[in-house]
Amino acid sequence: MATESVIHVADLTRRFGARTALDSVSLSLPRGVVYGLVGTNGAGKTTLIMHILGLLRAESGTVRVFGHDPVADPVAVLSRIGYLSEENDLPGWMRVDELIRYSRAFYPRWDDGYADELQGAFALDPAARVRSLSKGQKARAGLLVALAHRPELLVLDEPSSGLDPIVRRDILGAVLRTIADEGRTVLFSSHLLDEVEEVADHVTMISEGAIVLSAPIEAIRQSHGSLSAAFIAHVGRDAMHAVTS
Amino acid sequence: MAVYLLGLAAIKVLVLGEMRPITIVPPDGRAAAVIAPLSWTYFYYIAVFSFGLSGDLAARQSIFPARMFALPVPTRTLVLVPMVYGMATVTALCLATALLARWPWGLDVPLLSPALLAAVYLAWTQALMWMPYGLPGVRVIVTVLWLVALDVVALLAIHFRVSEPVMLAILVPQLPLAYLVARVAVARARRGDVPEWRVPFAWLSGLPDAPSRGRGSFSSRETAQAWFEWRRHGRSLPVFMAILLPFELALLWIARGAPALVVEILLGVLLTPPLMAAFAGTSVSGANPHARDSYGVMPFVATRPLTSAALIVAKLRAAMWSTLAAWLLVLVAVPVALVLSGNWPTIVERASRVVDVFGMPRAVVIAVLVVAGLLVFTWKQLVQSLFIGLTGRVWLIRSSVVAALVLVVCIGPVAQWLADHKRAQAALWDALPSILALLVGLKLLAAAWVAVRLQHSALLGEGTLVAGTACWVAVVFALYGVLAWLVSGPLIPRYFLLLVAILAIPFARLFAAPLALAWNRHR
Repeated sequence: MATESVIHVADLTRRFGARTALDSVSLSLPRGVVYGLVGTNGAGKTTLIMHILGLLRAESGTVRVFGHDPVADPVAVLSRIGYLSEENDLPGWMRVDELIRYSRAFYPRWDDGYADELQGAFALDPAARVRSLSKGQKARAGLLVALAHRPELLVLDEPSSGLDPIVRRDILGAVLRTIADEGRTVLFSSHLLDEVEEVADHVTMISEGAIVLSAPIEAIRQSHGSLSAAFIAHVGRDAMHAVTS
Repeated sequence: MAVYLLGLAAIKVLVLGEMRPITIVPPDGRAAAVIAPLSWTYFYYIAVFSFGLSGDLAARQSIFPARMFALPVPTRTLVLVPMVYGMATVTALCLATALLARWPWGLDVPLLSPALLAAVYLAWTQALMWMPYGLPGVRVIVTVLWLVALDVVALLAIHFRVSEPVMLAILVPQLPLAYLVARVAVARARRGDVPEWRVPFAWLSGLPDAPSRGRGSFSSRETAQAWFEWRRHGRSLPVFMAILLPFELALLWIARGAPALVVEILLGVLLTPPLMAAFAGTSVSGANPHARDSYGVMPFVATRPLTSAALIVAKLRAAMWSTLAAWLLVLVAVPVALVLSGNWPTIVERASRVVDVFGMPRAVVIAVLVVAGLLVFTWKQLVQSLFIGLTGRVWLIRSSVVAALVLVVCIGPVAQWLADHKRAQAALWDALPSILALLVGLKLLAAAWVAVRLQHSALLGEGTLVAGTACWVAVVFALYGVLAWLVSGPLIPRYFLLLVAILAIPFARLFAAPLALAWNRHR
């Protein structure tokens, strides 16, 4: 496994009015790992991911993805990232085949065979409008366009939130397949600890904008027994209800 | 609005005192100070009370908010509450305005019938907006047609000077009728009953989208993004024109034998695309219903691996396709309508008069310039507010809207004041070159600021910036050359034409659009 950093965040602080969303956050993601980001709602996971995607500008500190500033050079960063968000704001007016045709234009490494395979596996009707898809099918469509260009970095922001177990299985399966592609990196944010524990190599816990624990999953298991126990120890028992419900 | 009306009344009583009374025929520019804000407020109320601000007007489903269907109240309550609130609000607005017009302005306007007419329009808009339809887009067509029909009835009644009681007798029964239609509409929507009329039109879905180059791959990511913008916003203007043109051109049959009226109708038709583009332009640059923050950039778009400048170019290209499609409709439909309505000889005769006055070469250049100017003006209307709308800053967008409204409100009274004062006209004419020079100075300052910001932010390469500036200079001088050739006379000096050409060709606003988008995309 190479040790080159895919994402490097140093001393990142972000405030929204009086509220501190991120407080001196630093992290570094080596290539080829599955990185789990856990925390309660409002802990700062999505804010951190938005900085990595360049959707938020670093007020203080630095963010580098593949060595580039995602705000200054969005093309160099975004063309190597596959992204699936909790909101999954795919345009409702597009048909699934239009979504695929449109998305493939942005990525020179788009793999038609893989896209067809995913479309078949996810049972996506190419003629269906995105707005007519169920929440689970929308998530699958979003996952398809995030994966079919075989991104070097896959960013999943609460991808399985509110979805049924079958769709969650699809998403986890996609993560596992991405891992199988050598050298690819996954940043996986979730409040479902079991899910993260199942796939992550390294886990970072965020609470109230600050990193409270960041360690390899094996180290966490050895020190706390399980990810849930570590979460209770570092974030609190009350917060545990929020992440497991 | 109430404060504004009271303010106007106070100005009349305390400042203006006795003055020449405002007339409706001929129209008086001072009336714009009331009519313009009244109209905007009324249309805003219509949008609010029909739930048009949050609904998808083109959808087949009712735009009545679905979340309200779960409320533990009968359908009649769901319908009555927004209808009664809406009617009470617009009636109060119209009554207050009519009272203000009577006192202190001394204008003799009817009190009840305008308020009732406003309530009837609102009630029918609500009923027709809340109805589920079998085809997408039918809601807009049905509502426009029905409101135009109501408008014709009201105008005929005014034309024949019917009495106030007769007017009330025409309008009052429409309120319960509109309520009944609205109740049926909401009841159907509440039980999820959407009619299906799409089967006969299924073959249409097989047609390729004009600019998407069939079903193949896009040649580049920029082309794909331009297609995205076309599909999202580009079709609005051609659709508006396709709906309006038949009604406008139908007037040519009525105007047969009245050449002046035919020319006026044609002028109206030619000015419709830029006017409609001003409305369509708000969606090109403005709010995004899919984003968490309604003025923000959709994450789906913001995470495209494209520069902000490329995203803007896609919008500009889609706006160009939209303009061309709208004008293609106009340029095909107008000659056909002129020939079929028997008005073609009238236009040929008018054109020959223009040729007699200017000579053939100048007349041809004038015609080409007018059509090209209207095309560019339409496109400009679509894209000129990008630099504001794309910032995503609510305070900036609202401030610009308020500033534009204030400007429009002031234009009428100022124009009327100028028309009434010959010395002011002379002073304005003398100062016109200085005013234009000042505006050019401001424009060039803004352009320099934008260029420096673009260079600092690396949003545009130096080569692109230089090439864009060179193109702008070339177009300005080309326009100046044409103007100098067309308008040669001692009254209009050449430098005046150059100032006009500089002001006519947009620069700073277009080049500021990538800055605005980047400010919004990377918050």
